[in-house]
Amino acid sequence: MLAWGIPTYTPPYPGYGASPALVPNVAISVILVMSLLILIRNAILKFKGKTLPPEEREFPEEIQTSGFTQIGRVKLFHLLSFLIPCALLVIGIEYIGYIPAAFLFLLVIQFVIGSRHWFQPTIVSILVVIVLYVIMRFGFGVPVPGPQIF
Amino acid sequence: MEMIVAGLLDSLSPASLMFVFVGVAIGVLIGAIPGINGPMAIALFIPVTYYMSPLTAIGFLVGLNKGAFFGGAISAVLLRTPGTPEAAATAWDGYPLTQQGKGEKALRMALYSSVAGDFISTGVLIVIAAPLAAVALFMGPAEIFALISLALTVIAGIGTSSICRGLIAACLGLVVGMIGTEPVTALPRLTFDIYQLGAGVRLIPVAIGLLAFSEILIQLEKFTDKDGGEHAPNVFSSKKEDRLLSWKEFIGNIKTLLRGSAIGIGVGAMPGLGAPVASFMSYDQAMKRSKHKEEFGKGRLEGIGASESANSAVVGASLIPLFVLGIPGNLAVAMLMGAFMIHGMQPGPLMFKENAQLMYGIYGSLIIASFFLLIIGQFGLRLFCKAVEIPASILYPVIIFTCIMGSYLGQSSMFDVIVMLVFGVVGYFMRKFDFTYVAFLIGFILAPEWERALQQVVIISQFDTWMFFRRPVAMGLMALTFFVIGKTFWGNFKARK
Repeated sequence: MLAWGIPTYTPPYPGYGASPALVPNVAISVILVMSLLILIRNAILKFKGKTLPPEEREFPEEIQTSGFTQIGRVKLFHLLSFLIPCALLVIGIEYIGYIPAAFLFLLVIQFVIGSRHWFQPTIVSILVVIVLYVIMRFGFGVPVPGPQIF
Repeated sequence: MEMIVAGLLDSLSPASLMFVFVGVAIGVLIGAIPGINGPMAIALFIPVTYYMSPLTAIGFLVGLNKGAFFGGAISAVLLRTPGTPEAAATAWDGYPLTQQGKGEKALRMALYSSVAGDFISTGVLIVIAAPLAAVALFMGPAEIFALISLALTVIAGIGTSSICRGLIAACLGLVVGMIGTEPVTALPRLTFDIYQLGAGVRLIPVAIGLLAFSEILIQLEKFTDKDGGEHAPNVFSSKKEDRLLSWKEFIGNIKTLLRGSAIGIGVGAMPGLGAPVASFMSYDQAMKRSKHKEEFGKGRLEGIGASESANSAVVGASLIPLFVLGIPGNLAVAMLMGAFMIHGMQPGPLMFKENAQLMYGIYGSLIIASFFLLIIGQFGLRLFCKAVEIPASILYPVIIFTCIMGSYLGQSSMFDVIVMLVFGVVGYFMRKFDFTYVAFLIGFILAPEWERALQQVVIISQFDTWMFFRRPVAMGLMALTFFVIGKTFWGNFKARK
């Protein structure tokens, strides 16, 4: 960012006030310094053969903290199993429209979560799609995304 | 005086009353569901407020926040699973009462304590915010710059074990806040040739992604119950004395409620501490001063009163730094600040001058929300208890889809949905690696104000680096900022020796 991103995508200094690059440069520099401090601390501890207590480890196995972070192992498959349907919804909604794309998305998400019956997920999908359609179209007057069926 | 009367009358308009009522009811319902908290609810519902008047919108969101604070106690008392972090101390005495068949009595104690704490802190806010704001008007850009620097430093330490990671998160928020059109040159900055970023990254998709979507992704990792939610034990005993809270029992705990409210107000008025700290501090004090210490944790009403009065008192008090200085002290207030900005207002001391009628309208809505909380809690308690039993297999898909459509709603733009998904993933990794998203979000919200203050300082001082030394308040605040950083680093260093 410091070497390429900020110089390339920041306007030139207009000749008065602070440079447009000042705050981004300072913020990225602080991030760099703090990251280096964390790396140095970990390297020293590793060199000394010490381990940090669980709550201070950089990548602990499984602990819970104060509710603002939930430290633990990244479950990539779990993450992708939700992100892929979301990405497909964003693409699909532009081509087949809100109602069919949203209905299919909700069915898939309920399947991923663990619903293996057909009745409840179908009812939930139909109700949610219709309720949100009505709220957006008639409540707020906002057109739903993608090609319109109604 | 005219402004005060006009503002209060505005808050009594049918639309305003209806949306405050709806806000409180939805807040209690949402707060009762474990894993969903006030800030998350505000993030999800801000897009809905685009179509409301500023007073109705803020009244609705304030009601939502107040309701969620009490709602958190419902699952804490019934399931020992706090709906919100600040309700954790409520569970210590609430759940044992539920096991004794006195769950309804515990919930009523939580309700009355919440309303008492909330009402007292709203009163304090009304009395002191305007005079303090008048003093704050004397602050110049140097003081504002120093104050935001201090707030960012203090907030960087919230909810993470390392100030380094907190500062990284805050600075990342600043960088994301810099994306868009640069105010002095009016040219695009850090947009990476993506034309949709020309107007900047909008708050709504970022907040929904960081607060709601990433939280759901994490919650679903723990989700094992495939067919239903947890079932609360039967809390509605047939014995009247087990269900209702007597006047004597309430009066017997009045000292605890007053002490809890005072702690909540003190903690709430200071940026960075938040409701969980107030709740635990108040519980600790109540236990130390009680004649029945040994009964704490086994189902003592005093414990519930201490925790709930303190955490609810934080709601009103945390608006003091926002109204006086324009600084959000916690996440819920940061979201409210975003809502103010979306409706064309810049929170801070000038609001009392420029939007006096609206400010008194908001005060009116705050008081009304306290009354509605009492009424809704009193008559709807049994209904809200059912919320803890909503099956996760229904709840989570609905929330995920609401996140997506909520992001779309603001600008009718699918690009905002993509931004929400990106920040959902960012939030997921931040939570996993202990980078506090609170600091990120507050850094993101305060970034434009911080840069504006810096620009003004540079232009006024004409690059005079000694300017801060000629402004004693600014110098004091900057010294305090460096002291906070130094003290935290020194504390970590000493702890490791």
